Amino acid sequence: MLDALRYEWTRLTTLRSTYWLTGIGVLCALAIPVIAGFAAGGDPIDAEITAIMLNGGAAFGIPFLAVFMAIIGIFATGHEYRHGTIQPTLTALPQRSRLIMAKLLVVAVVTVVVTLVSMALNALAIAIFWGEVPGLFEDPLASALLGYLVYTLVYTLVGLGLGLLFRGVPSALVVIFLMPLIIENIILGLSFLPMADWLVPVVKFLPFSSGARLLAIEPMVIPDYDLFGRWGSGGVFAVFAALIVTAAWILFKKRDA
Amino acid sequence: MITATGLYKRYRKTVAVDRLSFDVRPGVVTGFLGPNGSGKSTTMRLMLGLDHGEGQTLFDGERFSDIRRPMNKVGTLLEAKPFHPTRTARNHLRMLASANGVGDKRVDEVMELVGLGTVKRKKPKGYSLGMAQRLGLAQALLGDPRILLLDEPTNGLDPHGIHWMRDMLKHLASEGRTIFVSSHLLSEMQLMADELVVIGRGTMIFNGVVDQFVRDFTQSTVIVRGPEAAGFVPALEGAGAEVAKGKDGELVISGMEIGAVGHLAFTENVELSELSTRSASLEEAFMSATGSTEEFVAAEPPTAPATEKADGADNA
Repeated sequence: MLDALRYEWTRLTTLRSTYWLTGIGVLCALAIPVIAGFAAGGDPIDAEITAIMLNGGAAFGIPFLAVFMAIIGIFATGHEYRHGTIQPTLTALPQRSRLIMAKLLVVAVVTVVVTLVSMALNALAIAIFWGEVPGLFEDPLASALLGYLVYTLVYTLVGLGLGLLFRGVPSALVVIFLMPLIIENIILGLSFLPMADWLVPVVKFLPFSSGARLLAIEPMVIPDYDLFGRWGSGGVFAVFAALIVTAAWILFKKRDA
Repeated sequence: MITATGLYKRYRKTVAVDRLSFDVRPGVVTGFLGPNGSGKSTTMRLMLGLDHGEGQTLFDGERFSDIRRPMNKVGTLLEAKPFHPTRTARNHLRMLASANGVGDKRVDEVMELVGLGTVKRKKPKGYSLGMAQRLGLAQALLGDPRILLLDEPTNGLDPHGIHWMRDMLKHLASEGRTIFVSSHLLSEMQLMADELVVIGRGTMIFNGVVDQFVRDFTQSTVIVRGPEAAGFVPALEGAGAEVAKGKDGELVISGMEIGAVGHLAFTENVELSELSTRSASLEEAFMSATGSTEEFVAAEPPTAPATEKADGADNA
């Protein structure tokens, strides 16, 4: 397993895209507290605003870092097929499950570290503009930040699973952008219409929307929708990721390389 | 030593590889021949577990997927350019080496060995096909393996590169390594390979030494020239030989040994200016052996209609 981990680490760190995707993700997230600081630095901030600034805008629907890390996840598997490197990879490391496990572990650890660094940088920016980061280690902010960490991690693993499932990059990118931005919003919108109210029970199982509730300071309440709380919603997102990764893993073992 | 047993692969209704069994011995270069679409690459992928099918391949007694750090035992080159375009050639090798406990020093060594030392920090997207093949060979040699499995390694190489590759593989074989190499360059294979595995439509046609293949699939003929050659034909046919006329008017005789032809000429009092044998090439043997198993057969070039058209134009 150590050989597989060494392989995946070398693969990840010898790709230029790893650095610019991580860099852009961190900078985009950092831009939120910096812009807010210039616009309203010194004004009083509550836990919700602080959370939005710490997670780089993810809480109001623009999960910059999660998206860029998910692309790294897609590249971890999709690039192998796009550029045909799956053949030399499997002749260097023919134990397929070990390879996938190494990819999951390395990408997950990198995602967690990058997300923590991003939050630390954003906290620093808040401290510079406001002089402190109020309630950083207290609930509900602490739970929301932990939720953000989990959200970014699960988002990235979905990307990795989709890259492996589709054996390429474009289809996985389309799904990871189309599903949260368009499909889930359409289902949510339609569920408000009386003729499509049968969609109401479905809404709490929409994976990306559920994942977004991991970041909320206050639990989202829509009458009659009976949405799960923070960790229940996170569970829905995690189960979705697990299903994608498991399906991709099984097919990877069965398919020709 | 490679031992392949009962290799079988089916794509829906098409059988790509049909119960192939063969051995590849150490110390010699074994060529893997077959027409386009005959299943050579699929066979190699099956051997390495890249494709799923039936049968088993043992590399010095072990299945490929059971070998820990396989690059140290089996070196492979399967595809011409399986490189990420923005990762440097050296980093590509470092990545594969890291999975097999091979150090950076060895990476630099093999880059020098294949003549890419000066461009090792360049991205392979700028490499020519020949350079990419050299990088592929460097990849195969990374772990200094005892077994090499190479799919069309001379593709894209210039004559100097082909010569270099041939010498390299023969040298590696002389060190007692097992070399299994596919190629469509038959003349190259004639110079390089000691033994052959020949397949057509996924089935075994021949497995043995090159000379035996040529003997089995072609006839050696006797060439006769002389001022009275045409008058010699009835005597030859009367003695049971088959006689054809060559391009330059020579007689091409099959079914009779050169000594018997000479003796017949002596007894018939026929003057000869040439009496020689012509051995078939590997290419002729290959065409003879695989002619009926070609998967993709092109139409003959339309020379006749073009001539007619030209004639018509002239007449008009």
